[in-house]
Parts: sequence; C-alpha cells; structure tokens
Amino acid sequence: MSEVIVITSGKGGVGKTTTTANLGVGLAMRGKRVVLVDTDTGLRNLDLLLGLENRIMYDLIDVTEGRVPYKKALVRHKKYDNLFLLPTSQVKDKSSVNPEQLVRLCQELRKEYDYILIDCPAGIEQGFKTAIAGADCAIVVTMPEISAVRDADKIIGELNRADKESIKLVVNRIRPQMVEKGDMLDMNDINDILSIDCIGQVPDDEKVVTSTNRGEPVITLEDSVAGQAYRNIVGRICGEEIPFMDFPKDSFLQRLKKLLGM
Amino acid sequence: MNDEIVKIKGTKTGLLLSFTQGFDFDTIEQDIREKLESGSGFFTRGTVIQIAPDALRKDDQARLKRLFSRYGVLFRTTDPLAAVQKTREQPNPDRTASEEDAQQMVVVNRTLRGGQEIRTKSSVLVCGNVNPGAQIIAGGSIDIRGTCRGMVHAGAYGNSKAFVIADHLMPMQIRIANLIARSPDEMEKTEKAERASIKDGQIVIEPIER
Repeated sequence: MSEVIVITSGKGGVGKTTTTANLGVGLAMRGKRVVLVDTDTGLRNLDLLLGLENRIMYDLIDVTEGRVPYKKALVRHKKYDNLFLLPTSQVKDKSSVNPEQLVRLCQELRKEYDYILIDCPAGIEQGFKTAIAGADCAIVVTMPEISAVRDADKIIGELNRADKESIKLVVNRIRPQMVEKGDMLDMNDINDILSIDCIGQVPDDEKVVTSTNRGEPVITLEDSVAGQAYRNIVGRICGEEIPFMDFPKDSFLQRLKKLLGM
Repeated sequence: MNDEIVKIKGTKTGLLLSFTQGFDFDTIEQDIREKLESGSGFFTRGTVIQIAPDALRKDDQARLKRLFSRYGVLFRTTDPLAAVQKTREQPNPDRTASEEDAQQMVVVNRTLRGGQEIRTKSSVLVCGNVNPGAQIIAGGSIDIRGTCRGMVHAGAYGNSKAFVIADHLMPMQIRIANLIARSPDEMEKTEKAERASIKDGQIVIEPIER
C-alpha cells in the first residue's frame, strides 16, 4: 500500500522542506521506495537540502505539461538508490500546476513507490491547494511560537475543509531550556489548541543548519538529537510505537534532584 | 478500536453513525442504548444523528428513531452530501432574529479553528474548542463544551438577554448584543465553567456549576 503524504505548515520557515528531506531519507534508509515531490514552484529548495541541484534535468512542470514522462524528471539520490526527487521549476510560478495534474501524477507514482512525500509551499493559496489535492494524509509542521501555532490551526481547518481526515503534527525547533523557563510554548499548550495527533517533537539543533548547507539531511547523523527525533518520526510513520524523547526538562523528579544537587 | 459495534463520526451538521458489519440489530440497539444512558456527552438534547439511508432496514430505523427521541435526540436518514449543502446556506444577517430563532440551536460537533466562522440567527452549541481567530456570531446564546479562545458574539441582532457559557471561557472578545468586553492582557486558564451575560448595562462573567 503506497501512501501520499503532504508536508505543510501555513507559515513559512518552520521547517517543511527540512522535514520532507529528513523523512524522505529516513524512509529510504529503512528500504522503502520513496519519491519526494517539491511543489514550491519558483522557490524550490528541496534539491539543495538533498545536494541534488546539479543533477536536475527536467522538472515538475515538464511532467505535468506532458513534455517528458515523470521517470525522466526523477533525480535519484546519491547514496540511497530507492530515494527519488521530483524537483519543481525555479522560473515558473505556482499557477503552472493545477490540482488535477498533481492528482494524476500521484496516481501514477503510487504504482511504483511506497511513500510519496509532497513538500507544500507556505500560505493557503493556489500552491497549497494544489499540493494537498492528491494526498491521503498530511503532516502539519509547526514551531513553539504563537504565530506558527495560529497558522497551523488555520491550516488544519483548511485541511478539514478539503476532507483530509488523517492529520499529524510535528513540532519543530523546540528549545528545551526556554520551555523549562516558561519562555516558550510547551507541548501541552500546543496540543491544547491544535488537538491533533502529535508524531514528532524535534529539538532545535545547530547540526540541522550545518547539514543543510552540506546537502546531507541531519537524520543521517548518529550523534544529533534532531536526527534522532526525525528517526523516531519515521518509525511512527511506519506504525511503530515509540515514546517521545526526554528533553532535559520539567520532570518533577529531575527538578528535585537538581535542587538537591544530585 | 476495531471491535466497536457503532462508530460515531462528527460531521458539519451532526453525528453520523455507521455500523460494523456482522452484528445483528439487537446488539446494535443495545450498544446505542448503553451509550445514551452513560450520558457520555455525545448525545446532548437537540443533537442531530444521521445514518446512511441503506445502513439499516426500514423497521429497524423506526425503532432507532423511537429510542433516540426518548432522549431528545433527532434522528434522520440523509445522505451526507445533502446535509453539507444545507449548511452552506448563509442566513441573511439583515433580518432581525426573533425569539423563535433564539430557541433554535445550531450544533457544531467539531473544534472551530482560526479563520472559521459560524454565523446564525439561532443559538449555538459547540462540542469542541473555539480556537483563537475563530468567530461565532449568534442571534441567540452560545454554549461551548470546551475551551473558548476565539471571538464570540451572542445576541448579535439585539437580544440583550443572550449569554455565553464555556467550560473554559477565555475569549479574545465577548460581545453580547451591542456591548463589547475584551480579554484581560494576562489570560489565566479558568478551572470552572463560566457564564457571561449582561447585568446593569455591562458584561459580567461569573462561575457556574454544570
């Protein structure tokens, strides 16, 4: 059974593309056949994060307009043979693809791949509507920040309106120290408002930036906390029960121990 | 969860029941009766229950209808599509709401999220939260079984006897008839259900039992 998952957020800069790249690599590491579709036409980034920019020959627009079969446009990942990227165009804009075209493309991709991850553009306009059209389920990425949570709420409402039933939450860029001090929204606050199933809590990690610049998603780094968090999300997508990571914060016993100097 | 006999799904107009294959009607009826008697809050009075027209035999449908009516629940067989279209009809806001309208109730069985709006001449019952950025504008009163963080306007067409009740009442603004109260700048989560109404020409919030 193949699954089409759209990764979306409403607000820009919360880590949709980073999440897409990491989950794609993570699923491929588990031997799944994965294709990543970038729908952020005109502002494409997914190829950079995967280090595949120099291998792009054709793009999404060429495929949806029927100039080439999709197989020609797919870029195979350097390390993982079963991971493919369908990049989008950097010169065209969002109006170049319509929802029907993407639905048709997803139907074709389903025949060959286990997971089709769609990287959605920010916003709730045409590009968003196109990106979610073919998806079975959605992953909403947000940050512990009121504007990001507010936009995530709006996006969940929009997804409901489009009859997407299965919506999961990933909270990105958590800074445990700030949460502990009460300077940042904690998971309870976020779950309280969004009230959807959370499948990931990713701490803020400098290694995300360095690995992005190198074009190797952080999930491949064994010693990174963010990488571990992404590996856990991949496990949960595959149906495993994985407890959430313990960030160094707020358990009563820990605070007591700290207080007693233990 | 697969062994549930009766599945309940919230829709835009009410609750949609579906039945797992392989159970006879007596089992189904028994299960529904238990749910009704447990008072789980699912079936409040005035809730509209729907089933797919072909889910049950005609005489079984009639039995269910009798069972539900004893608990004040409306039972209908409609195809979901027709139900959705009905909610799209926007009430005309220019018309002033009568007493009769305020006695009617719109039931919202989901969380209202940012940017979503309920606008009606009648009263509103929300089984879910009202999130920041959401709006309810009602001719009658508003009852929220959940946390209210959005903007609520009761008695929007001039009914100053209208009120707002919520399990946790912490909205951006409360408007009743032609009065407005805004939230304090430091919001605290309330432990008790509260009721906002007009007393002596201003909006007053007081805790209630429920």
